[in-house]
Amino acid sequence: MTKRRVIGPTAWLVGGAGLFIGAVAAWLVSQGNPGNMGLCIACFWRDITGYFFGQWTNQAAVAYIRPEIIGIILGAVVAALVTKEFKPRGGSSPLLRFVLGFIFMSSALVFLGCTVRAWVRLGGGDLTAIWGIIGIIIGVVIGIQILKSGYNLGRAKSMAAPLGWLLPALAIVLLVFAVLSADGTKSDFATLTPANGRAVIPGEVVVAPEGDGLKVLKPADASVVDGAVVAADGTVLADAEKVAATKPMPGGKRAALIISLFAGLAIGVVAQRSRFCSIGGIRDAILVRRFDLLFGVVGLVIGATIVNMIFGQYNLGFEAQPVAHNDILGNIAAMVIAALAAVMLGGCPLRQMIMGSEGDVDGLVAVIGMIAGAGFTHWFGLASSPAGLTDKAWPSLAVMAVILGVIAFIKRARTA
Amino acid sequence: MKELDVRGLSCPMPLMHTKKALEDDPAEIMVHADSGTAKANVVAFLQDAGYSVTVDQSGEEYKIKGTR
Repeated sequence: MTKRRVIGPTAWLVGGAGLFIGAVAAWLVSQGNPGNMGLCIACFWRDITGYFFGQWTNQAAVAYIRPEIIGIILGAVVAALVTKEFKPRGGSSPLLRFVLGFIFMSSALVFLGCTVRAWVRLGGGDLTAIWGIIGIIIGVVIGIQILKSGYNLGRAKSMAAPLGWLLPALAIVLLVFAVLSADGTKSDFATLTPANGRAVIPGEVVVAPEGDGLKVLKPADASVVDGAVVAADGTVLADAEKVAATKPMPGGKRAALIISLFAGLAIGVVAQRSRFCSIGGIRDAILVRRFDLLFGVVGLVIGATIVNMIFGQYNLGFEAQPVAHNDILGNIAAMVIAALAAVMLGGCPLRQMIMGSEGDVDGLVAVIGMIAGAGFTHWFGLASSPAGLTDKAWPSLAVMAVILGVIAFIKRARTA
Repeated sequence: MKELDVRGLSCPMPLMHTKKALEDDPAEIMVHADSGTAKANVVAFLQDAGYSVTVDQSGEEYKIKGTR
């Protein structure tokens, strides 16, 4: 084979797409999203899961329909329709794709972010993301060995048109609930983290800003007296010092609905057109010596870094990073599992969503697996917190590794 | 002419198969793909390898032809 051009024009296009996505993600933080969480596919689907199932899955702090998700899906659908790339298809081992999506989400929530957010975090100066990125590289290298063994989930085939519209339809349903709950009201079954709400004592005392001061959302008859939360009978439920030290819950930090929605739409269009993928860059660079997608993630880090610096959000270091922990081995191991699951799916969670928006039922199934995984991970108490991993993290990651190994083994060298 | 069918395959298999096919340095190659992503990736890959590429879309399928 004659020598191949290493960096073609498409590399710069994907790089530009990454730059744009990173910039938008950092800008969303300035508009109210949680720190270094302008874009996180795992976190955002987790929050959506919390809205619908939070009362069973213990997700009061992370329950909100993230409009970015709705926007990404609808933006990608429009881009796919305009370019005639919308094609209902699927049937490539859907059950295993559900399991892989489930494992991806569970391991991402041990790291505290998906493979996209790992790069977004780095663009905010969060150096603990480096552990995650080391994990991504290891996971991808293992995944490449599996791909080389002939691993294959089988070919997707054309499917009935209505199946291709399932993810877009889900986005519309989510949009209806998001608009209905935009003013803070919700149906009885739903869970909604109050905007900028702070859980002084989780599940018992919750406050939210009102004007210059605070109002008590829970318990109903308590009030704020000199900064402390005091019950109707005069008992001090939380002293002023404790109230002042409490930080907003992640689910309560958000940009305005319309801003999140339009940012998502733009990201959806750009991601669909560019095929941006948060794990494909490292994979393709090693496996087929193609660097286009690597330009994408590098562009994302640069775009996020610049915009974070402009808005004074850039905070370089390992300590006190937003929604992150500095358990080195835990961060590495969790992202090894997540990246391996993503390679075995054929792309990162953003790609799975974009594929689902192009009519790919297999992508939709991976997303459903992620939703189930989010609910399970919080119900089971596996999700990490900024304090670090839970006791269940290591045994759970080991189980996930075994399951991935079994899937890799049974699907090896069976080329369709 | 070398001919490949990458229809229905997940990433990165279309590129893996294309890269393998190019090892023999064929003067002409035809790749059958059915997703926009596979099409875009294969086209860019062939162009980077010095092929002039034409794409013929018929129904569900993209016929990607590389010549040099």
